[in-house]
Amino acid sequence: MKEAVVLAAEVAAGHDGEVDLVVTLSYENGVAGTVILDADTAFEIMQSCGATSSADLVGRAWHEILKGI
Amino acid sequence: MFDILIRNGKIVDGTGASAFQGDVGITDGRIVAIGPELQQEGRRVVDASGLVIAPGFIDPHTHFDVQLLWDGAAKPALEHGITSIIPGNCSLSLAPLKADDRKTLIGMFQQIEELPPEAFTQAFDWTWEDFAGYRAAIEPSLAVNVAPLVGHSVIRLWVMGADAQQRAARPDEIVAMQDLLRECLEAGAVGLSTSFVDVDENARPVPSRFAQFQELDALCAVLGEFGRMLQIVPEFYDTDITIARIDQLAELSLKHRIPTTLSPVFDNRQSPNNVPRTLARIEEQTARGARVWPQMQTRPIDISFSLLRPSLFFARLPGWIKVLRLPVPERMIALRDPATADRLVADTGEDGGERLMGRLVVRGGGEAPDHLVGRTLGEIAAERGEVPARALITLSLENDLSIGFLAANGGHDSTERIGPMLANPLVHIGASDGGAHLTSFSTYGDTGYLFSEFVRKSGALSLELAVRKITSDTAEIWGLKDRGLLKPGFAADVVVFDPQVIARGEERPAFDMPGGGMRYVRDSIGIDTVLVNGEVAWSKGSYSDSATGRVCELT
Repeated sequence: MKEAVVLAAEVAAGHDGEVDLVVTLSYENGVAGTVILDADTAFEIMQSCGATSSADLVGRAWHEILKGI
Repeated sequence: MFDILIRNGKIVDGTGASAFQGDVGITDGRIVAIGPELQQEGRRVVDASGLVIAPGFIDPHTHFDVQLLWDGAAKPALEHGITSIIPGNCSLSLAPLKADDRKTLIGMFQQIEELPPEAFTQAFDWTWEDFAGYRAAIEPSLAVNVAPLVGHSVIRLWVMGADAQQRAARPDEIVAMQDLLRECLEAGAVGLSTSFVDVDENARPVPSRFAQFQELDALCAVLGEFGRMLQIVPEFYDTDITIARIDQLAELSLKHRIPTTLSPVFDNRQSPNNVPRTLARIEEQTARGARVWPQMQTRPIDISFSLLRPSLFFARLPGWIKVLRLPVPERMIALRDPATADRLVADTGEDGGERLMGRLVVRGGGEAPDHLVGRTLGEIAAERGEVPARALITLSLENDLSIGFLAANGGHDSTERIGPMLANPLVHIGASDGGAHLTSFSTYGDTGYLFSEFVRKSGALSLELAVRKITSDTAEIWGLKDRGLLKPGFAADVVVFDPQVIARGEERPAFDMPGGGMRYVRDSIGIDTVLVNGEVAWSKGSYSDSATGRVCELT
């Protein structure tokens, strides 16, 4: 079954001057979109899915990652 | 005889029309004459030779609500040419507010504005509960004009008490909120602000986020009685949700015949389709007749961090993440451990972090020693005989981790991309957040940056268009009566500046908040004189003691 997966995870400046994580997703229908996560959320999901860095999120299923939010 | 004659300047009148050489005559706080070589004299003459004479700039997104109680000039906004401000954004205003709810609101304000506690306990007497009372408290000492929004969160708090942060409103409570909003609008509020994003000091959603759509719809019906603005903070971190909010705003705008605005909208290379998709939807909804104005800031976003809090600056460095997520005492032990520090330095690559960290700048305002402030980590590291990654660790340990580092221009920083966006007639230049984020970064000088970066450097906007975007366009969008143009009969809000020089100064810490509290500010560059309602409020580097600001009349 097709599912949304992480295409890229890059850091970017956030509105509040802190660093955010921009996660680019490829959805089931082929459309790509981005979700921006703040530091707390990003670190939580990385920990919960066993990713050691942002690069380690690439290729993972989004529904697995979401369990950490 | 005029009260003031501004002579021999390049007049950029705010309409977008071509500049022309001439004089401006002012009497009784109003512009009374504009033209070449006016024949009347002035009791006071401002020589504008070689300078531009323009309408005062209007900042549509600020949080000066509290500061105005001890500083009617909203410093340093005024010296940047800002003559009118709109506070009360993001669902938060200082009225209406029952005395019992002050502590709750202070927590929310401190979260967003980062004001020191003394700002609320020492700087003013809290004399009001209703909106008219707040207006009366600020009005006598205003040096800038103010068009205050009323915050949805405080309206909820007044009507629902603690339940405002727990549940949806009942129908009778929605009616009470409508009555309260109506009272605020009758007292001069320019509109209603709400937020779908902000949190309080305990990371709980602010009250407005508990509202269901029918509540917002009912409040917009009241805005429609007055034709007033709805401002929202959308879920700007998600393009699709932002577009859904644009659709929602469009429906409210069309149904209730009100203007709406959303802020912030900003550009990052990492999500390059965000702004184009947002603006495409704005264009579609505008074509339907909706009034939905996306606000975009001019300034780039700087990243700042210290090792006190885990930052995603280190998101690609697993070793650093592991150490920085430890509790602070254990984190310091780990950073002091030579083997751990060696591993962290090695993680940054063969260049010892030169590429990643070498251009970081040590920030002032915290615990950083003065001799390091403003210097790059690369320079400091070389001086210490260390690589940048090692210097970042040792400097942090030497200062109990309370030393801040700045990565300038971390986002919203592509002049080539942002220039055309700012020039787009559907984009509302704003979102400065003036008076907020005090200890994180400076929110002043965006107008200077507009001219230095997007007029002089890139040419994305003509001088005339840039002036129009931050004067008459803003006045028209918000319904500010007789402001935003150099035109006979209009209020004499005027800024005289050098178009070849105008810019924003370097960010610097200032300890001028109540109780000696720190904030980051930027000085103005190239602003010669600022007049508010016909009186000189700032000239050649100094503020006057004028207090001619007003709560703006609305159309």
